[in-house]
Amino acid sequence: MTARTRFTLDRRRFLQSAAAGTAGIVASGLPLSQAIWAQEGKVLRVRSYADINKLDPGFYQNAYNVSVMNCIYSGLMNYKPGTDWATELQAAESIEQIDPTHIRFKLKPGLMFTGGYGEITAEDVKFSFERVILQDSPMKDDWGPLNRVEVEDTHTGVIVLDRPFVPLWNVSLPYGVGHIVSKEAVLEATGDGGDFGMQPPMFSGPYVIADWRPNEVLILERNPDWTGQKPGFDEIQIRPIEDPQTAETAYRAGDIDFTHVSLSSLEQLNQRAPENTVIEERPSLYYVYLGMNMEHPKLQDINVRKAIQWAVNIPQLLEVAYFGYADVATGMIAPGLVGHRDKALIPPEGDLEKAREFLAEAGAEGLQLRIDVLNQAKFTTMAQVIQAQLGQIGIDLQIDVQDAGSFWTIGMETEGERWKDMQLILQRFSMVPDPFYATTFFTCEQVGNWNWERFCSERFDALNREATTVQDEEKRAQMYHEMQDLMEESGAYRFLTHEGAPFIYRRTVLEPATRPDGRALYRYFQPV
Amino acid sequence: MVATAETTRSEQTDVRGDSAWVQHWKQLRSNPLGLFGLVLVVLMVGSAVLADVIVPYDPTQILVGPRLGPPSWEHPLGTDQLGRDTLSRVIMGGQVAMLVAVAALSVALSIGLLLGLIAGFGPRWLDNGLLLVLDSVRAFPVIIFALAVITLLGPSLTTVVLVVAITSIPVYARVVRTQTQSLSDNEYILAERAMGAGTPRILGVHILPNVIGPLLILASMDVPLVIALEAGLSFLGMGVRPPTPSWGTILNNGYNYIQNSPWPVIAGGIPIILTTLGFTFLGEALRDIFDPKLRRDV
Repeated sequence: MTARTRFTLDRRRFLQSAAAGTAGIVASGLPLSQAIWAQEGKVLRVRSYADINKLDPGFYQNAYNVSVMNCIYSGLMNYKPGTDWATELQAAESIEQIDPTHIRFKLKPGLMFTGGYGEITAEDVKFSFERVILQDSPMKDDWGPLNRVEVEDTHTGVIVLDRPFVPLWNVSLPYGVGHIVSKEAVLEATGDGGDFGMQPPMFSGPYVIADWRPNEVLILERNPDWTGQKPGFDEIQIRPIEDPQTAETAYRAGDIDFTHVSLSSLEQLNQRAPENTVIEERPSLYYVYLGMNMEHPKLQDINVRKAIQWAVNIPQLLEVAYFGYADVATGMIAPGLVGHRDKALIPPEGDLEKAREFLAEAGAEGLQLRIDVLNQAKFTTMAQVIQAQLGQIGIDLQIDVQDAGSFWTIGMETEGERWKDMQLILQRFSMVPDPFYATTFFTCEQVGNWNWERFCSERFDALNREATTVQDEEKRAQMYHEMQDLMEESGAYRFLTHEGAPFIYRRTVLEPATRPDGRALYRYFQPV
Repeated sequence: MVATAETTRSEQTDVRGDSAWVQHWKQLRSNPLGLFGLVLVVLMVGSAVLADVIVPYDPTQILVGPRLGPPSWEHPLGTDQLGRDTLSRVIMGGQVAMLVAVAALSVALSIGLLLGLIAGFGPRWLDNGLLLVLDSVRAFPVIIFALAVITLLGPSLTTVVLVVAITSIPVYARVVRTQTQSLSDNEYILAERAMGAGTPRILGVHILPNVIGPLLILASMDVPLVIALEAGLSFLGMGVRPPTPSWGTILNNGYNYIQNSPWPVIAGGIPIILTTLGFTFLGEALRDIFDPKLRRDV
């Protein structure tokens, strides 16, 4: 039996304790906020632009979910934090390419799953990777030509591909589908190894989910069973704040210590940054474009689409929407990645005369069109500039502002008939550092899924398949150049910008760890 | 009947021979807040009616000035993120606000009046049925209802009017129903019935004139609510389509660039405040004049 001391707190004792505590803080010279923070433990408070909605890595949907998955699961390798694209080993002790279609890995011994599901083994790796194909995950393209994983012993296995697959090193292994889950736990939870959605049956990373209050906060705590590299913070609080202005306000109020900010705020932040704040600007991989539904009766004539392409003046658009902080894109693939084009086929400024000629050729003067945009300031601003620019050639453009739930299903055939009515769309997609990740969403197979413009080219599809097998970077780059040319020639796309990825953080609280494109890798954040 | 009409006519003039309207005007003049409200309402309505004539620039024309420029002689309320003149947008936004208010309240008032009369004067089962429908509509949170309708029909001025009208109908219908029920038990109505008057005559000649006054006062006090709802929906991007100016859109755009310039937010916010104050003060003054029993100091 343990002796228990009775503790009572009367008013006098409370005042004495409070006075002593305050004196201690003053004597230590710590600002009050930091002193409170130190008392509470090392808590990382960050903002995500959306709330989590999928935690099964084999079926991941969005980049913001993957940021959480990076904390609660481990992969064989991960993106190395820094300003240059590189990967490093995570759960793997070694990975070697035996030949173009065989990759051997060896796991670090002693890495444990939570929930009593034992050590991470090669069998779990096999299950995690193969289920993406076997369960027909929407993300199965990330695993490309994966045939199987052969288990050699508890910690060793060989990934076997049907053909060489270059994106394996840039996408499959370090990103979403590369995370490892427990075979026993997932089969127990799902029966067939299918999608476990928002209910992870175990964790394999340095953090576990302690609490999730939808649209309020996601709290991650240290995984007590984790034997890998110790993370810096005891707790991570991720607050979903969609609007960047609100996020900036939350940062200024001290509710969060790390957030991405909008490009339009950069000028003001550079002039009047909050105290102890560091502003970093990173080149983004996002691609923003104006898309056109090629099957819509008003846009079936290529001359109409070309007229729109030529009427859009991109520098003018970016100056207004991004205050000159974003560069013109030449295609989907950002500078620094294999396949980036030096210039687009249509000059950024366009040409109104040429646009009018195309429109006259189509006999479509006075055309009325509609553009769907996400309900965010930069998109509605861009849409209004496009509206004015198209107005110059006689196209009357109506703007439909959509909230996220409505917007992200417009072009999906599985979500009803709205895709038939979609005309123009202002679109923005995230990227990982391999061109395959951009082009693969524009194949014929993706029409009505993510390919909302309904662009379909046999040549494009063939190049997309072949380019993943080509090791020679120059040859591969040429193939991606041609693919982007094909997209542009279809008239369905006007590539606008890759934006930028500025973020701010409190230097007295944390040292951030991000990918070169600024995406946060929370598990590697360090307290100051 | 003749006696009633004569009495009514004699009540409309005082001992000095002033007509009822002159008396009401004098009462309004003696109420400073009411008078202030009237001035604001006249200003707002006047600028909305004459908007097309008095705007200094085309409110949708981009780059008529510097982007997010501060107030200047050329642009007294500054410019927005697209270099559009904010004053012109505020004036035209007033037209949109008044249009929504007038259209939505007219529809709501007409339908509410009709349903209220039917419920108040009709058989019990019809009253119960209508009440069930009206209370069901009222039970919906307005914004959620608005978002659902806008998602189905798409954002537009018509949709906003429809949403506001539908959500306002139950309020008016309930007021009319209560008034009708209370009036229908009066002796002069019973006398009319005894003399063989039909339902349309009783409703049209005796009940309607007695319920329309309070209803109009109620409607005038609802104008700021409707304007705030329209501004709220536009702020959320669910109102009028860009580039049509609306006070809510001006606020939303301004909010997004508030770090760069506070002027659009100020310019979008002030008319909403003034209009709300104007209609509220005027409505309260009118209520005091036409229905002294409800006067706050009684």
